[in-house]
Amino acid sequence: MGPERNMKTEIAFTLNGFPVSLSVSAHKRLLDVLRYDLGLTGTKEGCGEGECGACTVIVDGRAVNACLYPAPEVDGRRVVTIEGLMDPENELSVIQKTFVQSGAIQCGFCSPGMIMATKALLDENPDPTDEEIRAALLGNLCRCTGYVQIVEAVRLAAEKLEKRR
Amino acid sequence: MKALKTVGRRPRRLDAEAKVLGELVYPSDRCLEGMLWVEVVRSAHPHARIESVDTSAAAAVAGVVCVLTAKDVPGENAFGIQIQDMPVLCHDRVRYMGDAVALVAAESRAAAREAVARVRVDYEVLEPIIDPEQAMQPDAPALHPGGNILHRGHFQKGDVEVGFKKSAVIIERAYQVPMMDHAYLETEAGVSYYDDSGSLTVESCGQYVYRDQTQIARALGLPLEKVRVTAPYTGGAFGGKDEITVQIHLALVTYHTKRPAKMVLSRDESIVSHTKRHPARMWYKTGASKSGKLLAVWCRLVSDTGAYASLGGPVLNLMMEHCAGPYLVPNVSVDGFAVYTNNGFSGAFRGFGCTQACVAIESQMDLMARALRRDPLAFRRDNVLHKGDRAALDYEMKTKVGAEATIRAAGRGKLYRTRGKFKRDRSEHTRSMAPYIKRGVGVASQMQGLGLGVGLPDYAEVELNFSPDGAVTVRASTSELGQGAYTAYAQMAAECMGVPLEKVRVVGADTKTTPDSGTTTASRTTYAVGNAILMAAGKLRAELDKRAVGLEGISVRETFHLPVADVKLGDGLPHLLYSYGTHVALVEVNTLTGEIAVLAVEAYLDGGRVIFRTGFEGQSEGGVAQGIGYALFEEVLFDRGRFLNTNFDTYILPTSMDVPADIRTVPVEVKEDTGPYGAKGVSETCMVGVTPAILNALHDAIGVRFTRLPVRAEDVLRAVLERRR
Repeated sequence: MGPERNMKTEIAFTLNGFPVSLSVSAHKRLLDVLRYDLGLTGTKEGCGEGECGACTVIVDGRAVNACLYPAPEVDGRRVVTIEGLMDPENELSVIQKTFVQSGAIQCGFCSPGMIMATKALLDENPDPTDEEIRAALLGNLCRCTGYVQIVEAVRLAAEKLEKRR
Repeated sequence: MKALKTVGRRPRRLDAEAKVLGELVYPSDRCLEGMLWVEVVRSAHPHARIESVDTSAAAAVAGVVCVLTAKDVPGENAFGIQIQDMPVLCHDRVRYMGDAVALVAAESRAAAREAVARVRVDYEVLEPIIDPEQAMQPDAPALHPGGNILHRGHFQKGDVEVGFKKSAVIIERAYQVPMMDHAYLETEAGVSYYDDSGSLTVESCGQYVYRDQTQIARALGLPLEKVRVTAPYTGGAFGGKDEITVQIHLALVTYHTKRPAKMVLSRDESIVSHTKRHPARMWYKTGASKSGKLLAVWCRLVSDTGAYASLGGPVLNLMMEHCAGPYLVPNVSVDGFAVYTNNGFSGAFRGFGCTQACVAIESQMDLMARALRRDPLAFRRDNVLHKGDRAALDYEMKTKVGAEATIRAAGRGKLYRTRGKFKRDRSEHTRSMAPYIKRGVGVASQMQGLGLGVGLPDYAEVELNFSPDGAVTVRASTSELGQGAYTAYAQMAAECMGVPLEKVRVVGADTKTTPDSGTTTASRTTYAVGNAILMAAGKLRAELDKRAVGLEGISVRETFHLPVADVKLGDGLPHLLYSYGTHVALVEVNTLTGEIAVLAVEAYLDGGRVIFRTGFEGQSEGGVAQGIGYALFEEVLFDRGRFLNTNFDTYILPTSMDVPADIRTVPVEVKEDTGPYGAKGVSETCMVGVTPAILNALHDAIGVRFTRLPVRAEDVLRAVLERRR
């Protein structure tokens, strides 16, 4: 293990609306910072190589795989995880509600990543077609549901968010 | 019967809110003060003798607390659900790449991983045994003291030779199905520690906490009551977490260090180490009369069970039990072999042997219907089993048989009824490729034994508590793997106690606080736990009539014993109860590129009465996705016993783009007399028929019979080119 691996850098970023600063080693993954340094275990690890999407979080408005994202890279950025999705009134967000309502949850291990990918999609494209929804969730694997109820939850969330505007 | 208020409806899952908030703590999320990280040194070869293990360099790594080897296993260094032939830590020999040779526990995961790389193991490399047929030869080197045949079976009904003589059509084919990974999204994980009462506690991801407790206690030489196991929630299992994974290793580290410990397998390690769906080769010869009556089924089934037994014997038993599908066949002969090799290791997986057999028999049914120029669904209907008939292994079907009802319902469905139109239609984006596009519709029927079957202890005990505020608590030791069972339990408890669903809480899977409700496998939990809930509720209501509810509330326990067949043909063989299903699939094949798209699937499922409707549909859709994976994508590949694809970049799972939007699940509710509210189970039936329905649809589309899974684009192209020659 070379000395550069242990070299620490100071980073400061916004996490779910709150400022965070900590010192991390250069090779640390954002996923490990979230789960083990900050105790936010809502973001899951499924494959560790960016194939399954269980660790999806939003960095500066874009859905990224936290398992491939070097922690030092979030310096100065805005990070949103599943823990930061609740409404200001501390209620489930619309997307979380429709996932519950549509039965899009089974084992639930892919759900935080699915929900974050959905949020990134709907922020960008408020009225997606079913094909656009399926394409946006292509990088999020689910082994339980067969995706039907998930796509339904996303469509329902889009409709509800549209009405709010 | 009075109208049901909660059963059969669409409540919100009890755990959904915690899951969408990211608040539910999964085994891999647990962290404890002062915990050690545990990593495993796994075998470097698929087959080798261990000459020496040198842990000194590993122990010297900063942060390492202990390095454990076989000599540190205080009890019996062996585990296995049925036969304890698998070492906790190998001492003299390794039989597959997932075999554990040493454990490292360290203050950080990085230190543990570094130490793993520094454990020096000297091996005498042995030739891997990779072919089950060769492994069965008497002169093959034996992987276990009893030889390489773990289990064999032969069953006969009537005389197949007579049947074939009378047959107007005889079809012979050989089928090959691959090793399949469960690919649950959460890998095997857990923590261990001594709880306040001094019990060595393992919080993990298993499917039967009481059996895990036994397996841990045996390996550690501890009395059962000194070991506590919990496993209420995990990120998917599908049978792959039925066998021990991390539990004994965790316990061993805490036992030696007295400290909390944590393990999470990497995806690669998960795929290499845990049980799989048995790869199998199946030779079939089937015959039918000119009028379309099945006359004979002969088959030889060889399943590759890999390095250790796990449930390889019972899986073969179910493969044999279901070898002729849900059909009445007067003459049957089946030979089955489960064989040890160095190809990973296999065990329980949704369908449990029925999945493999269904691929073969449903392909044969289709080929026979074609040869007879009969409608494939009508051909199935004309040969279907009924109550009172004698099944393939020559015992009487004594409970309601829903097979015909599912076939008839499928025949009335949109997809089958108007298949001509569906086959002519072209989707927008394939229109430009029109000359190369072919579509087909296929069907498959199946049955699936419910419960563990004859001869294996199969019961469910539950506790019901009624508290002074009117709340009801259900305590059951089965696990919530994602299937939604806890919600179904709560619905049944609410229904029979006459309370709203919001008043019911379910506490699951803890050997200390929940009674033994049996395994979370074999499509059994809704049926078995549900029956126990109904029994306990009766007792609880009687208590409530007799006395006042004190501060503690009133608790009662009841045990339901699953009824079993009155003949015993083998371990778990046969079953008394079965679930049934018929699937219809529409596929589109591009004969220029070989691409296959599954466009629609209809599932007609008899799992008895549906308790939790949203969960039922969700399971069915998930079963369709897994059936597509088995048909078109998934295969664990080996090069002489070495795994070639151990993550999702090369082990390909169906994505949102591969599973059709058009999945229609139709419950065919043939109410089971012994079931709670008439329920059975559906968690396996929902997947098993999907794969052969796709194979049959492919045949319908391009006239090619695929007998080897998975069917990839290159297989389609090769077949199309060969036909042109």
